[in-house]
Amino acid sequence: MLKRFVKYGRLVPLPILLFIVGIATLPFSSGIDAIWKSLAIDIGLHLVFVVIASFFLEWRIRKYPTKVLATLHATFLAFVSAILLFVIADLFLCSLIFNDKIYLAHIDNTEVMRLIMAWLCLGWLAHITVLRKHQEDNQKEIELHQQAVISLREAELFRLRQQLQPHFLYNSLNSINALIQLDPEKAQEMVGKLSDFLRLSVKRDVEEFINIQEELNYIESYLAIESVRFGNRLKIESIQSGEDWEKAKIPAFILQPILENAIKFGLYGNTGNVIIKINISLRDKLLHILIENPFDDTTQPPRGTGFGLEGISRRLTILFARADLLEIKKHNHIFSTIVKIPQ
Amino acid sequence: MYKVIVIDDEPLARSLIVKLLQAYPNFEVVDECPDGFEAFKSIQKHNPDLLFLDIQMPRINGFELLEMLDKPPAVIFTTAFDEYALKAFEIHAVDYLLKPVTRERFDKAIQKCQHQALNKNIDAVSNLIEDQVYEGYQHRIVVKDRGNIRIIPAEEIYYIEANDDYVKIVSKEGSFLKKNTLTNIEKILDPNLFVRVHRSYLMPISQLQSIEPYEKNSHIALLHCGMKISVSQAGMTRLKSLLRL
Repeated sequence: MLKRFVKYGRLVPLPILLFIVGIATLPFSSGIDAIWKSLAIDIGLHLVFVVIASFFLEWRIRKYPTKVLATLHATFLAFVSAILLFVIADLFLCSLIFNDKIYLAHIDNTEVMRLIMAWLCLGWLAHITVLRKHQEDNQKEIELHQQAVISLREAELFRLRQQLQPHFLYNSLNSINALIQLDPEKAQEMVGKLSDFLRLSVKRDVEEFINIQEELNYIESYLAIESVRFGNRLKIESIQSGEDWEKAKIPAFILQPILENAIKFGLYGNTGNVIIKINISLRDKLLHILIENPFDDTTQPPRGTGFGLEGISRRLTILFARADLLEIKKHNHIFSTIVKIPQ
Repeated sequence: MYKVIVIDDEPLARSLIVKLLQAYPNFEVVDECPDGFEAFKSIQKHNPDLLFLDIQMPRINGFELLEMLDKPPAVIFTTAFDEYALKAFEIHAVDYLLKPVTRERFDKAIQKCQHQALNKNIDAVSNLIEDQVYEGYQHRIVVKDRGNIRIIPAEEIYYIEANDDYVKIVSKEGSFLKKNTLTNIEKILDPNLFVRVHRSYLMPISQLQSIEPYEKNSHIALLHCGMKISVSQAGMTRLKSLLRL
């Protein structure tokens, strides 16, 4: 608090200085010969109280910020503080210089002037604080936004890498190569599937949020190719439930990496048949996506994914400001990934 | 007649190799295997002259399989890896085929095979993993256990002891011998988890229960499993820096 006050405090001394100068020149403008001691006490007291008041304002505005009518609120606060400052300073002054009748009379005469000066000074200080706070909030928002942009870039980059340097693509071409010899008709079918997948991945808009149905279509075209590659070993069970689940929106590039992981872990970790379960449901304005794959403790994750669950978790946290949206469980050789997307 | 085994987890990829090999009557495909475990058994049974071997496969990868073999046959790798990554293990194999495999490239590999390689004994295989074709550290060690392959997860290892040309890996499941040096094993395991406490000992830091002074300049480490191993002066320094003492 104090540090912040000092750091942004460059603007603060000016209104305080003007206020003190105002207090000091009051006796001269009203043409009385002030006793120096009384004047010094007057100035000293006001200096102390105006600094205290400025601290109070800073604390109050930061602690209980108002989004609406912030300037009006600040003006009002400054007015209340000015009255308090005025009353307290007056009380102290009267008790400290009770024998200087001339100065006391001068104080009585300049009451309104003092109150207005205090209000102006404190109003000025309050507005500085409001502006500064506003600026800081903006800065924070910009930073958060930048982070979101960066994480989307990362996800995009991951997708591009997948497209440009894909073992997936080479392996698919190899399967087609084999099918040309063994089953030309099936080879044609596979070429069709691969083209569908490539077309969908090229066509996809770079948007933050996409429709779940769209994402599922994309994933289906991907799975169709994987099923050809791995034959009967790979089975996908997909269940959707809940009203209007097909209208739900999810962040782009969230689901596909998880599914790819599931397939990799499932297929590389096991020699038998592999069943991948996808369960999508919409409950209480939260889209639940559960992906399950079998896994083997002893097998190492295949290398080279680079953008794993950690990246996805970070993106979800940034997008929704919640840290509980990605959950993973390992139980009885089943690996479950649960993603929740607020709607 | 050369005996060939084709090892790949994708059925179509295996069919392609078999189909391409039909043009060469002096090569006979004796078996096809979808993973390293089956391949290991099949190799012992058939004693082949040539393997077509995919790198990334279920459970144990192609390199780990080769490491298990006492007399590895000639190998042609088939993989979708990038070319530069392949250079790392090029020297260990007769040849490699990038997927998608083309007839032209396949013919070249077979010719190379016929001309020189089948008679050549490949002895550099045990250093395959060391060349770090894969990034990062291994989280397990693959060993041979009475004719079977056994995978020891890194977290189940109690300690590893140097034993002439072999290392003895002592784990939850018992102790196993592997033909390799302790220095090689040390290189492939995560140095944040494993520490070389002695010329002859490598241990996971999580196994450490306490350290007691022994003779001058040496200590004894007491492990959670109840065993005791020697800690040298240099080992003590490494241990301290890892524990940030």
